[in-house]
Amino acid sequence: MEHLTREALARLVDEAPLREEADHLDACRSCALELEALRAQSRALGSLPEIRPPLGDWDVLEARLRSEGLIQVPSLLSRLTLAQTPAWMRMAAAAALFLGGSLMGAALGSKGPAGGELAATGPDETLFAGMDDVDAAAAAVRSAEVNYINALARYRQLLEQGGENGVLGDPSSRFAALEYLVAAGQAAVRQAPADPFLNGLLASTLAEREATLRRISTRQDNWF
Amino acid sequence: MTESQLIRQAAEGDARSIRALYERYAPRVFAVVRRIAGEDEAAQDYAQEAWIRAVRALPTFRGDARFSTWLHRIAVNSALQALRRSETRRRREAPFPAEVPVGPRGGDTLLQRRLEQALDTLPEGMRQVLILHDVEGYTHEEIGDALGVAAGTSKSQLFKARAKMRELLSSLDGSTQESGAEAWSI
Repeated sequence: MEHLTREALARLVDEAPLREEADHLDACRSCALELEALRAQSRALGSLPEIRPPLGDWDVLEARLRSEGLIQVPSLLSRLTLAQTPAWMRMAAAAALFLGGSLMGAALGSKGPAGGELAATGPDETLFAGMDDVDAAAAAVRSAEVNYINALARYRQLLEQGGENGVLGDPSSRFAALEYLVAAGQAAVRQAPADPFLNGLLASTLAEREATLRRISTRQDNWF
Repeated sequence: MTESQLIRQAAEGDARSIRALYERYAPRVFAVVRRIAGEDEAAQDYAQEAWIRAVRALPTFRGDARFSTWLHRIAVNSALQALRRSETRRRREAPFPAEVPVGPRGGDTLLQRRLEQALDTLPEGMRQVLILHDVEGYTHEEIGDALGVAAGTSKSQLFKARAKMRELLSSLDGSTQESGAEAWSI
């Protein structure tokens, strides 16, 4: 007796058998069992579970969506809710704020805007030059990130404290401050180009700077 | 918040809504893309590409089909296109393609792991048809549309794929029995 081929049996998983195939299946226990195994295989395939993507998948996706402009960039102030930042960044920013925003090398220059209200040293382009020790380089990267967060937190603090009459109440001063923040952000992102958090913050800073620039250009009290 | 509200806000670029949709559907998207890709690394890229396409196309989603179905189609098409591109590139760049071993993922049952391993080993054309038909429930006409082949071709590929799969599972069963593992049985 010639058995049915596996391909013929695979067809019978979801199609009716021809007369001779049905007769054979009635008579051949081996082929009947093989058909049942194929049916069970299809049922098992149909009930395979979903698969969770790897950890961190969303972070990468979010960064890509942002870079393609598919996610709205929230306002700088809402992005600066420190509760959303990693713990070490929160601690660093908090420490920096307590110490006047200067000890951790705040990213704003000594000739900074608003009469030096924003802290001491500018973004140091040479900070990473010649770095040949891995730990030192990692510390420097972290330092650049902390500097940026620190400067942003200081900016927020000054904005909230002063309101319209504060040191950053004037859009021109605010724009100058944002120029420094952008430079600091770019310095930090250069050290960690794939960091979605830093990229997001930089995008927010850029958006804030553009909005301030637009505000300046449409001011009603132009001197001319 | 209802799904249609989520979709509307996601279409406007709201990060939270996009994330909520991602959380809800990422396992389904990743599963189909992973099985079509046949390996983990490419699957991640394909899934990301699928999501980006979907988010970009969200403003065009009119709700004629269920969102999950719409998203699933995007994921399948996206993975198939990416696979074709990578296959073309591989053919151009490497005349002797290397085998990429795929390890088992945690949490799978032995049966599921064997099925996934066998799926990964199937020739690409067979794997695509088998996944779309037996795993995802596509009809042969739908498979024909997705793969650009006739429905009859899809059918004959399916029967070959099922037979090949059975053969692979039998050999997997043999090798694990030798090493004392639990026997294959479905």
